[in-house]
Amino acid sequence: MQRIPLTPRDNWQQKVESVGLTFHTLENGTPYWDESAAYQFTSAEIDTLEAAGYQLQEMCLAAAQHIIDKKRYAELDIPDFAIEAIEWAWNNEPPALYGRFDLSWAGAQSGSAPKLLEYNADTPTSLLEAAVVQWHWLKDMPSSLVSYKPDQFNSIHEKLIAKWKDIDPYLSKPIYFAALDNPDNPEDQLTVTYLRDTAQQAGLDTLQMFLHEIGWNDSQQAFLDPDEHPMFSIFKLYPWEAMLQEEFGPHALATYQSTRWIEPIWKMLLSNKGILPILWQLYPNHELLLEAHFDSPGTMTNYIRKPLMSREGANITLVRDNATVVSTPGPYNGKQIYQALAPPAIFDNRHTVLGLWMIDQDCCGMGVRESFSPITDNLSSFVPHFFK
Amino acid sequence: MKRSTHVTAPLLATTALSLLTACRKPEMQRCVDEQNHVVDDKLCANLPDQQGIQQQRPDGHGGFLPLLIPYHYYYGGWGGYGLGSVVGGGSYAPAAGRSYTTRSGVTTRGGFGSSFSEGGSHSSGGSSGGHGGSSGE
Repeated sequence: MQRIPLTPRDNWQQKVESVGLTFHTLENGTPYWDESAAYQFTSAEIDTLEAAGYQLQEMCLAAAQHIIDKKRYAELDIPDFAIEAIEWAWNNEPPALYGRFDLSWAGAQSGSAPKLLEYNADTPTSLLEAAVVQWHWLKDMPSSLVSYKPDQFNSIHEKLIAKWKDIDPYLSKPIYFAALDNPDNPEDQLTVTYLRDTAQQAGLDTLQMFLHEIGWNDSQQAFLDPDEHPMFSIFKLYPWEAMLQEEFGPHALATYQSTRWIEPIWKMLLSNKGILPILWQLYPNHELLLEAHFDSPGTMTNYIRKPLMSREGANITLVRDNATVVSTPGPYNGKQIYQALAPPAIFDNRHTVLGLWMIDQDCCGMGVRESFSPITDNLSSFVPHFFK
Repeated sequence: MKRSTHVTAPLLATTALSLLTACRKPEMQRCVDEQNHVVDDKLCANLPDQQGIQQQRPDGHGGFLPLLIPYHYYYGGWGGYGLGSVVGGGSYAPAAGRSYTTRSGVTTRGGFGSSFSEGGSHSSGGSSGGHGGSSGE
């Protein structure tokens, strides 16, 4: 695993825009999509990462079963009123589509296994960067830059289309795609547009709308689209823990069995940071895990403290030798977990995080984020990768 | 000559006629609190007639105090059905000859998304400087 400086393509901004990535540059002018470098992996390293993704998925599903069997919802701050729907969804397996494991790893030369940082199982983004933009980037790379015919760990697009075909019989049509309407940040809308595109390429009828346009009709006991048609299949790029606290949350639970929500509600067991200490309890000292605990750091002196529901690097505290080194602001509070610091994964002074994409049960792609801060947040750049 | 020789306004005429003959749409009937914020209709269900409702004085001095019920139906005016939104321009009593519709009879919208809107519990409260501020991660 190496970080290789490269010359960006001429007019790279227009090139990434032409394939859908309009948010390629941060407000401060630095690139979010950064092709001034690329990460190079060996084929064996990609095999290691792929195997890690499959193994972590298996462990996370076992952990979800454990939470349900042992009724450990309160430790995850999951409200009692959501349990019935979670257990129904778990037992009846309505369609699930995707998720992203975030791992820390410095490659085979580190002598260490990849370590799970967290599982974004409910509302992962950076999808079109990983599935589409870096694929086109690789296609454009002349052999003079990479000196051989490179490959990329990325069959996300194909797997998404195949998955939609697979779950088609379980979904009423049209399938609605809903995300927040944020004119200053098109990321969510572009993410659902891309997912909708893949569903359409699979031959499914779709419609797209803003999240706030979802309607509820008490008389019909149904969610309605802006044309007052009932909605029975909804992809929502919006976290379940927020939905449950909002006005329509009780309606989503009351009608859960008649509505196919993607992702299903049981995914909130895995997207919760509480899954990390539970995994550690179930698989102590597993090579893919970092030590993690509820309530206190125990004997750890170097660790991260993060709230159960935090997102995008908010409200994270990094402690080294029992002293706070970095603390990020944010709106999240409540219960926190403590997770050991991962072995360093630093390239050219940048902290690197590997995002492994799961399309349902298939580990089929990777995106690389990097930042000068040890905490990956919404300022971290996306850097393309290839392997030989 | 100060008068037009020919005046024709067919659209105006058609619109005026439709206003005169059209059925009046039902207006909104919402349950509100003392600050005219919309609350769940359940809070207004089975309310007693509030005129003349009294309770015995709790201070032992005898006599009665008016019973204050913090919720009322609000008829017509502006604003929507969204819980927590403010209404105005209507009245606490229905107008004769008008019809009204409660939340249960209509489709309400905006029930998802508030946590990540400005001021929501997940909003950053300012510019992140990045591409974030989304509900994805």
